[in-house]
Amino acid sequence: MNKKWLTAATGFALVTVVAGTACSSGSGDGGSKTVTITHYTIDSPDRTFVEKLIPDFEAKHPNIKIKVTKAPYEQFDSKLQSAIAGKKAPDVTSHWGYGGFMEYYNKGMLMDLTQLLQDDGFSAGDYNIPENVMDIYKVDGKTYGIPLNSYVTVMLYNKDLFDKAGLTYPPTDYEDKSWTFDKMVDYAKKMTVHSNNLAEAQYGVDFGWGERDQRVQYFGADVYSEDTWTNGGKPSKVNLDQPAVIDAYKKIYGLIHDQKVAPTPAFSKSVSGQFGDPFLSGKIGMSVVGSWSLAASSEFNFKVGVAAVPQGPNPNVRSVLYVDPLFILKDSKHPKEALEWIKYLITTEVQEKSIELSGGNPPVNQKAAEKYYGSFEGIEPAQIKQVYDGAYKYGFESYNHLIDNYSQINELFINELGPVENGDKKPEEVLPTIQEKLTKLLERFRQSK
Amino acid sequence: MNTAAAQVREPRTTSRRRKMPAAGPLIGFVVLLAVTVAMLAPLWFMVSTSLKTTKEMLAFPPTFIPETFAWSNFKELFTNSDIKFGQQYANSLIVAVFSVLGTVISSSLVAFGFARYRARGSGLLFLLMLSTMMLPYPAIMIPQFLLFTNIGLHDSLLPLILPNFFGSAYIIFLLKQFFSTMPNELYDAGRIDGSNEFRLFWNLTLPLAGPALATVSIFTFIWSWNDLLTPVLYLDSQENFTLPIGMAAMMSSKFRLAPWNLLMAAALLSSLPIITLFAVAQRRFVEGIVLTGIK
Repeated sequence: MNKKWLTAATGFALVTVVAGTACSSGSGDGGSKTVTITHYTIDSPDRTFVEKLIPDFEAKHPNIKIKVTKAPYEQFDSKLQSAIAGKKAPDVTSHWGYGGFMEYYNKGMLMDLTQLLQDDGFSAGDYNIPENVMDIYKVDGKTYGIPLNSYVTVMLYNKDLFDKAGLTYPPTDYEDKSWTFDKMVDYAKKMTVHSNNLAEAQYGVDFGWGERDQRVQYFGADVYSEDTWTNGGKPSKVNLDQPAVIDAYKKIYGLIHDQKVAPTPAFSKSVSGQFGDPFLSGKIGMSVVGSWSLAASSEFNFKVGVAAVPQGPNPNVRSVLYVDPLFILKDSKHPKEALEWIKYLITTEVQEKSIELSGGNPPVNQKAAEKYYGSFEGIEPAQIKQVYDGAYKYGFESYNHLIDNYSQINELFINELGPVENGDKKPEEVLPTIQEKLTKLLERFRQSK
Repeated sequence: MNTAAAQVREPRTTSRRRKMPAAGPLIGFVVLLAVTVAMLAPLWFMVSTSLKTTKEMLAFPPTFIPETFAWSNFKELFTNSDIKFGQQYANSLIVAVFSVLGTVISSSLVAFGFARYRARGSGLLFLLMLSTMMLPYPAIMIPQFLLFTNIGLHDSLLPLILPNFFGSAYIIFLLKQFFSTMPNELYDAGRIDGSNEFRLFWNLTLPLAGPALATVSIFTFIWSWNDLLTPVLYLDSQENFTLPIGMAAMMSSKFRLAPWNLLMAAALLSSLPIITLFAVAQRRFVEGIVLTGIK
C-alpha cells in the first residue's frame, strides 16, 4: 500500500517537473533567435490600440515579437503584482492602475534605464520631448520612465448654458489675468438653477481640480512638506492643521455648500451614476477636469468649449499634469528590445498615428501634438494649443505620480472627506482626524521600509 | 314588519361578510404589485438602456422607453472585434459547467463520507476542512498562481476549473448536513438488497438529494459565472477571456464614456443562463421535496 502511494507521488512529481521544464525551455529557445516583449496595459480601446501598431513594428524589427496582455482598470494592479510574484512579469507597462510611479519605484519594480539610454544614445530631443517632462520620471538623476502621453487639467464649458445665461465664453489664454477664480464663481452663480425637480436643476461649476489632497495647491497651500518632492515621495510632515490648508478646503467645499454653485455628490450620482461625470448630463456650466474628457466631446449632447483654468490664489500652479510614462520592469530579460519598442511608440509618426487609433490620446512628442490639437470637432485647434501651452507653463505633476503609497493615501482622503462633500460635516471638523490618521499611516510606511 | 326587515337585512350582512375577506387579499395584491414593480424597475432599465443609442443613453431626464429601438447594440456585441462577446460567453459557459460538475461530484463524495461513516478523527478532519473556509482567496492567490504557472497551465481555462474538482468546504458542509438527515434504514435496506457502498452513494443518496444538489449547483454556477479576479490573474490572451473580464473592460477606461447601452445588452444576455438554470433547478427542487415527502 505504502509503495503504491510512493509510486503515485513520484509519478505526479515527475509530471510536474517535466511540465515545468518544458515550459521554461520553450521560452529559452525563443530567446536566442526572436525575443518576445510583453506589453501590459489596461483593457480599454485608448490603450489596447497598440495592438494595431504591432505588425508595422515587427516588420521593422524582425527579431522582436510584441505580445499585449491586459486587465480591466480595477484589476490592473492585482494582476501585475501576481505576475511579478509568479515570475511572469511583463517587460513594458505603466502605472495605469491605482498605484503611481513612486509606489512602483519604492517597491523596486522598475529598471534603472540610465545606462541603457546612454548606451543607446537616446536623446529626448530626438523625440521632441521637453527636458522638464523627461525629468518627471527621474529620481536622483536616474531615469526610470519614458513619457508617452501628457494630459493636463482643462476647463470644459457647456456653450448652450453660457448662451442661455447670456455670458461671454471664458478665455483660452492663461495670461488673460481677468479670468479669475472669483469671476468663475460669479459666472457659476448666473448659471445655477436650484430646484428639487432634477430636470430643471443645474449647477455652474464642477471643480474637479486634481485629487482631493492636491486640490489645495490651487489655493496656494500644500498638504505635504516641501521635502516630499525631493526625497522620493515620502512626506515628513502633514500640513492639514495649517490655516492656509484649512481655508483652502473651506473654499473648495464652500462651492457646494455655501455658494451652492457646485453639484452635491447626490446630484452628480443621480444625473450620471456612481462613477459618471455629471458634466456629460448637460447640467453643469463649467467643469475643471483632466483633458481625457475631451476625447468623448463628440458624443456630448451639447456644444462644448475649452478654456484656461482661471487664475487662482496660487499664481504659479493652475493645472495638474498627468504625464503617462512607459517603464521597463526590473525582471525584464530583454531590456534592449523593450527600449526599441518604447522608442518606436514615441516617434513622431507613430505618435501622430496613435492619436486617431486611440481616439484622442495627447502625444508627449510636441511635433505630433500639433496634430492632436486639431482633432476635436467643433473646437478650434489654436484654442486647444493655447490651453495646453498655458497648462504646461503653470502645471504641476499629479501627486498620484509623485507620492509613495499614493493609493492608500488617496483612499483615506476620499473616505474622510465624504461627509464634508455630502454636507454632513464642515472641513475644519474632519481635517484634524485626517491629519492624525495620515501621520500614523506615513509613520507606518516608514517603519515597514 | 320586523321579520321583513330582518329578511331585507339578511343579504346585506352576508354581502358585508363576503366583502370583508376580499379587502385583505386586495391590500396584499397592491403591496405585492408595488414590490414587484420596484424589483423589476432595475431590470426594466437594463432592457431599456440596452436598446438605446449612445445619444439617448446620455439624455437627461432618461427615457423609460427608447425612442428608437437600437437592436444593433446586440448585433454589435457579436460583430465588434474589440469586444469578442461570443467567445467570452462560450468560455464562461465552459468554465461554469465544468466547475459545477467538478464541485458537485467531488464535494458530494466527500460529504457522503463525512455523513455516513464513523472513523477515528473524522470529526477533527471535518473541522480542519471547515477551517479552510476562513482562508480568504487573496491569501492563497499567489501560491496557487505559482503552482499553476509552474505546471504550465498559465493562460488557459484549466486553473479556473481544476480547483473545483478538489471539493469546496462550504458545499461539502451543506451536503453533509443534508446527507446526515437520511434515515439509516434506507441504507440498511440497500445493503440487504446487495448494493455496495458506491451504489448506495450513486443510486440511493444522489437521487434523493435533488434539492441539495440543485442548490449547490446554482451556488457554484453563480460563483463561477461572476468570478472576475481569478480569470484576470490567469488569462492573458483575449481568446481565453471570460464574460466578467470583457464586461469590466467595457467600463475600464477613465478616458472614455462607458458604452452603457452595449454593457446593458451584455448584462441582459449574460443573465440568461442563470435565469434558465434557476428555472430548471427550481423544478428539480420541487421534485426533490416531493420525493423526500414520499419517503
